[in-house]
Amino acid sequence: MQNILEVTNLTKRYDKAKTPAVDNISFSVKEGEFFAFLGPNGAGKTTTISILTTTLSKTSGEVKIAGFDAEKQAKEVRENVGIIFQKPSLDPDLSAEENIRFHACLYGVYGYRPTFKWMTKAYRERVMELAEIVGIADAMFKPIKKLSGGMQRKLEIIRSLIHTPKILFLDEPTQGLDAVSRRSLWDYLNDVRREYGTTVFLTTHYIDEAESVDNVCIINHGKIAACCSPEELKKTLEYDPTPKICLPTLEDAYIQYLTKIEREAV
Amino acid sequence: MDTILTANDTRMATKKSGFTRELNATITILARGVVVSLKSPATLIVSLAMPIVMMGMVGGNLSQNMAGGLGFDYGQFMLIGMLINMLFMMTSQGLTSLVEDRDTNFSQEMMIAPVSRYSIVIGTILGSAFMAIVSMLGTIIVGLFMGIHLGAGQLLAILALSPLMCLAAGAFAMLLIGCIKNKKAANTAVTLIMMLQMVLSGAIIPIANSSGILAVLNRLIPMTYCLDLTRAVVYAGTPEYSSVVLFNPIVTLAAIIALTIAFLAIGTFMFARSESHK
Repeated sequence: MQNILEVTNLTKRYDKAKTPAVDNISFSVKEGEFFAFLGPNGAGKTTTISILTTTLSKTSGEVKIAGFDAEKQAKEVRENVGIIFQKPSLDPDLSAEENIRFHACLYGVYGYRPTFKWMTKAYRERVMELAEIVGIADAMFKPIKKLSGGMQRKLEIIRSLIHTPKILFLDEPTQGLDAVSRRSLWDYLNDVRREYGTTVFLTTHYIDEAESVDNVCIINHGKIAACCSPEELKKTLEYDPTPKICLPTLEDAYIQYLTKIEREAV
Repeated sequence: MDTILTANDTRMATKKSGFTRELNATITILARGVVVSLKSPATLIVSLAMPIVMMGMVGGNLSQNMAGGLGFDYGQFMLIGMLINMLFMMTSQGLTSLVEDRDTNFSQEMMIAPVSRYSIVIGTILGSAFMAIVSMLGTIIVGLFMGIHLGAGQLLAILALSPLMCLAAGAFAMLLIGCIKNKKAANTAVTLIMMLQMVLSGAIIPIANSSGILAVLNRLIPMTYCLDLTRAVVYAGTPEYSSVVLFNPIVTLAAIIALTIAFLAIGTFMFARSESHK
């Protein structure tokens, strides 16, 4: 498998900041991979995702996505990525369907028409099919303001997939969702991965969501602390936290690893 | 015949480049502006109330107290000024939605799209132009109630010029909005610049005899040229033409196009830069 994402010596220092938010990090992600980018609050996860998705400029280093340079070929990179931002980014004045239509037409997947009925049959069927899958078909014509946080998140997922990106960035996608919504979202995202071979780049604080990833990178204070498979990370555990009940989880390994490097730093 | 698009079809569609995709993106953003305006009763009320305040009250007072000794019909002169002022004011105010989109994080959705930043800015300007043209039509109606008439040909000429005027207004506003990150600050800046333009451009006060620093300022702002071109079209072939029109219309049109392109380029660059350089 080829690398779909290559990050080399990436550094980002915000204006007037004393230390870099992202400090000379390097890693790569293979095509079709399910990749987790984990770290505590303020570690540099969102900054890194913003640079990878071309919405934030870097200070130095190189980022290549699908073979394109994120700075010099930003438009080509944008064609190949989808993102669910950490904070909801829907237009509250539009309906759910209007938000989807706006995105699909902005990406050039469909020609713009002023009403849902006037859009092509292909668009109408795809939108309703996706809405059925994530369980928000009844809410598609309601204003965003009347949708719950969970429904808005589901809508953002439909929106991010409507142009079938090669790599999907999920920046804490299930933040604020109830357990049932989280489960149904992950079921759908796993189906998407299987059906389209979409590469998924995930950041989350729910470490159990990253249990089935192919590879995990841990970022702490802007630096890569570890980059390996979950199994390799679990082998670093100094003790078995749940010996009589089940095997150690990625969450156990993650917490212990972070605690250890913080302790060593002191 | 319509069919469901496969993943590859969708990716191919997204990869379509060039003018068609940029045009589709511009229309999409323009349409969003129109839909959001139509869904906001407050915006519609303000758009229709503004002509009553500006034309009926400000214009009416000026007309009753300043009309003497000018050598031309002040009512008609002021009506044209108010029409262009309305286009500038409403387009500039509408453009502050770009700053508002930052607050709701919707700007991220636009900035991540594989389209030119110019398409985003031009689409937003033209979306704002919708309410500006509604206000302009309201101004014409108020003018009619005040007994100020324009011929059908003159009205059509003004309507035909209005998209260019809105683009010029939006480009000028982008100079400010491009580097402002706070909606309150953006609204204050736009209000300030609109007041200055209304006074300095000759919208309601003739500027033919301005001199010194005021004459320099008159010639620096795009609204002066937009007004002059509109008056050149409306007053063409009339005895008042030389008293009302300041410049050759060809020169005026060239100035509008040059200023619009320059301001649009600088404003869009600053807007894109402020989004990505932090």
